Amino acid sequence: MIGVRVDRLTIRFGAFTAVDDVSFQVAPGEFITLLGPSGCGKTTLLRMLSGFLEPTSGSIHLDDVDVSQVPPEARDTALCFQSYALFPHLTVRQNLEFGLIQKRIPRRERKERVATVASTLDLDTQLTKLPNQLSGGQQQRVSLGRALVMRPGVILFDEPLSNLDAKLRDRVRIEIRRIQRDYGLTAIYVTHDQAEALALSDRILVMNGGRVEQSDTPEALYHRPRSRFVADFIGSANVIVGEVEGPADAGIWRARTPIGLLGFTSERQPPRAVTLCWRPEHVHLGDGDLEGIVIDRSFQGNYTDLTVRSGDVDHRIQVSATPLYEGDRTRFAIEPERVVLLEDEV
Amino acid sequence: MSEARIQRVLLVLLLIVCTVWLVVPFGMAILWSLVDPSVPWTADHVLPPALSFYRWIDMWQFSSLQRALVTSYALAPLAAITSLLLAIPTAYALGRIDFPGRELAKLACLLPLVVPAFVTAIFFTALLFQLGVHMYRFPAILFAHAVLALPYSIRIMTVSFEQVRQDHIDAARDLGASSWARFRVAYLPALRPGIFASLLIVFIQSIEEFAVAFIVGSPDIVTIPTLLFSALGQDYVRPNAAVLSLILVVPNVMLMLVLERLLRSANPTLASGKVM
Amino acid sequence: MTRRRWFVVPLLLAPGLGLILALVGSVVVIAIGQSFGLFSIFGGGAFSLEPWSETLDRRVYWRSVRYSLQVGVVSAFASVALAYPLALWLRKPFQGAAFIGAVLKAPLLVHGLVAAFLYVNVISYHGIFNQFMQAIGVWDGPRRLQNDPGAVGVYILQTWKNMPFALLLLTGAVRSISDDVLDAARDLGAGTWARFRRIVLPLTTSVMQAALVIIYIGALADFSFQVIAGPINRMSLSQLMVFFKDRGDWHAAAVVGVTLMVLALAGAAVLTLFIQLIGRGWPRR
Repeated sequence: MIGVRVDRLTIRFGAFTAVDDVSFQVAPGEFITLLGPSGCGKTTLLRMLSGFLEPTSGSIHLDDVDVSQVPPEARDTALCFQSYALFPHLTVRQNLEFGLIQKRIPRRERKERVATVASTLDLDTQLTKLPNQLSGGQQQRVSLGRALVMRPGVILFDEPLSNLDAKLRDRVRIEIRRIQRDYGLTAIYVTHDQAEALALSDRILVMNGGRVEQSDTPEALYHRPRSRFVADFIGSANVIVGEVEGPADAGIWRARTPIGLLGFTSERQPPRAVTLCWRPEHVHLGDGDLEGIVIDRSFQGNYTDLTVRSGDVDHRIQVSATPLYEGDRTRFAIEPERVVLLEDEV
Repeated sequence: MSEARIQRVLLVLLLIVCTVWLVVPFGMAILWSLVDPSVPWTADHVLPPALSFYRWIDMWQFSSLQRALVTSYALAPLAAITSLLLAIPTAYALGRIDFPGRELAKLACLLPLVVPAFVTAIFFTALLFQLGVHMYRFPAILFAHAVLALPYSIRIMTVSFEQVRQDHIDAARDLGASSWARFRVAYLPALRPGIFASLLIVFIQSIEEFAVAFIVGSPDIVTIPTLLFSALGQDYVRPNAAVLSLILVVPNVMLMLVLERLLRSANPTLASGKVM
Repeated sequence: MTRRRWFVVPLLLAPGLGLILALVGSVVVIAIGQSFGLFSIFGGGAFSLEPWSETLDRRVYWRSVRYSLQVGVVSAFASVALAYPLALWLRKPFQGAAFIGAVLKAPLLVHGLVAAFLYVNVISYHGIFNQFMQAIGVWDGPRRLQNDPGAVGVYILQTWKNMPFALLLLTGAVRSISDDVLDAARDLGAGTWARFRRIVLPLTTSVMQAALVIIYIGALADFSFQVIAGPINRMSLSQLMVFFKDRGDWHAAAVVGVTLMVLALAGAAVLTLFIQLIGRGWPRR
């Protein structure tokens, strides 16, 4: 179990900067996720961590040792590929053994370690099969097992669930988290799926345009997004621009917005023009100072999504049940504690 | 940093190898075909002292070149058409009918490629003797060229037939098309590139074929390869051989490039396996 | 419907596959028959082992067998050995890769006889190669290189003509290995050599085997390279067969022809077995 320190890491391909001055630390045993849309640099960052790409500048430390120039075959990291990248000509056992043979682990220990991993991942009965005889979920587990059996200091995941169907994805996700805890692994996980990131991680780094937008626990990220990008990318959010009128209470301020007067929280004095954000499920329907007309209603089972027009702004409200339909007028309120001041310039 | 450098060194090295690989041999052939006989090209000259088309004109007028060209370029299109016509029924069966032993049949179609060319040529001649038809040399060569090229034409046409879409046929039927209209609308578009590719590949095969033309045809029938062979053997005159080599290789390279493009458009998976 | 199919399919196969089987079949039957004294050109003929026993007694026959086998095996392995590193090098696209690939594969488009001429022209007594060797001072005077007794010319020609073919097949095979698989091996600690030995080689075995067998059969049955550029004191099997046939000794020619076919099949089988055996040894240590 080792820690990771990434310091001012930058990589350029020609004129294009794929990862731009990224720094972060991962504590031993921590599970962090690099989350962002495609092209945000998260996979490039992962490939630098595993050693396949050489950074243009900056450094990577594994357990206080600078490994920036160490090739992947000599790095104490193990990567789980999105495509699984199983060796098609080798049996499951040979796949699991591959790295151990390269490391010249003695035969007996090799057998033991393979057996342990195989039983953890429920692969005991599959050991003599070839990868193409396995289901997608089993292949995924072999790929995971091949990394686990190395007992790497850091385990890296490159969207490992994206090729699985939705049901299996949930199960494997839980399994990955369990194994990471049991083995006490330091894990860095790349995904574009915010639900996956929220469920798995101790901490999430949201990336955009080669930079880290925000690094926080899932809860903090959801409830206190720092920018419009983060707010939009994680869950759904209503974002609006307003003009600050003045303080209302301790840490509470008031702003004039296109949908009406809105209270929001901020620890320091906000600028005059502000960008505010709140989650659709944090709106109280029925009474309050704000008003709007329902223009769309879609029933989702355990909740209902409403699109409400206030003034000329459409925003979303999520409630567990409602008698309202299209065309109905309604009043609503948003608690100032739920309205977050974003850092974006107006 | 160093990797880019290694790459550059390798590239330069390879360019040198390429020069040795292609430029020098062909350059020398072209120069030799242009040597003017008035001043011989001796070892003390880097380039021939006098250049002219004398050899080309001479070959054209006073050798069997014209006859060989006529023979070769008559054989090739005939062989191509014959081979295509022979291939189509088999290709249809292999491509569109599911019958037991189909894979075996496909494999058996490759047989002519496994038997060494000279074995085929000599015992095909023996067969002609057995049948008492050994004097019909031209038709015999034509027949052999067409049949020996069948592995190519059958393979290409089978893939083409496989690519005819059943829903197009069904749609045509559904709209009340007659069988001729059905053929034109559903089959022909899918088959057309395959037909061209098959014609072209058999054409090239026939132009280049040496063993059968040499064994069955000698001494009366001369094709370009057999003429080149004798120019390289008993009547070796270097400039003449150079002229013949270029006459054989240049049109074929161009045809092959056309073929490559055609095959790629007809079926990408075929393109790799073509030339042999 | 199915009964109709049983009738239609053979009818459709007759002009194509039927003719192939008829031609190749009769060629093989006549070759085997003539090698046992049957199907004499001059009519009649009776079964006898004489052609075999007579031909097998000739020293020239055994020399040809040895020589052709050698040409077949050496050409096959040389072509594949040269093609492998090039295929690996050209696996990842880089600037100029397509051009280099095209140049390397160009000999595929060149007729064998033309190749033989190009070679003979370059190495001729006053040819550019002799001039070059003298100019850089390695040789004092021109040397006679055509029809060299070591058959170096034949090997060079065979490799020139066949390496591109092996390259074509191997490039395809090597390119079909995904980057992720190679990266995974690397991530698990495999260096360049281990990646080649444990991943690339086993995954391209079948293609390499096909290339070896096809080149082997072609080179085993070589006629033109041998006649034009090969040593004068030895004959290849095809050359020997044509030689017997030209003398009118069809039965001896048939013996050589059958030998050629047997060696082609046997050699292909041995090569396949050999590669399989090695291939099986690869994953284990």
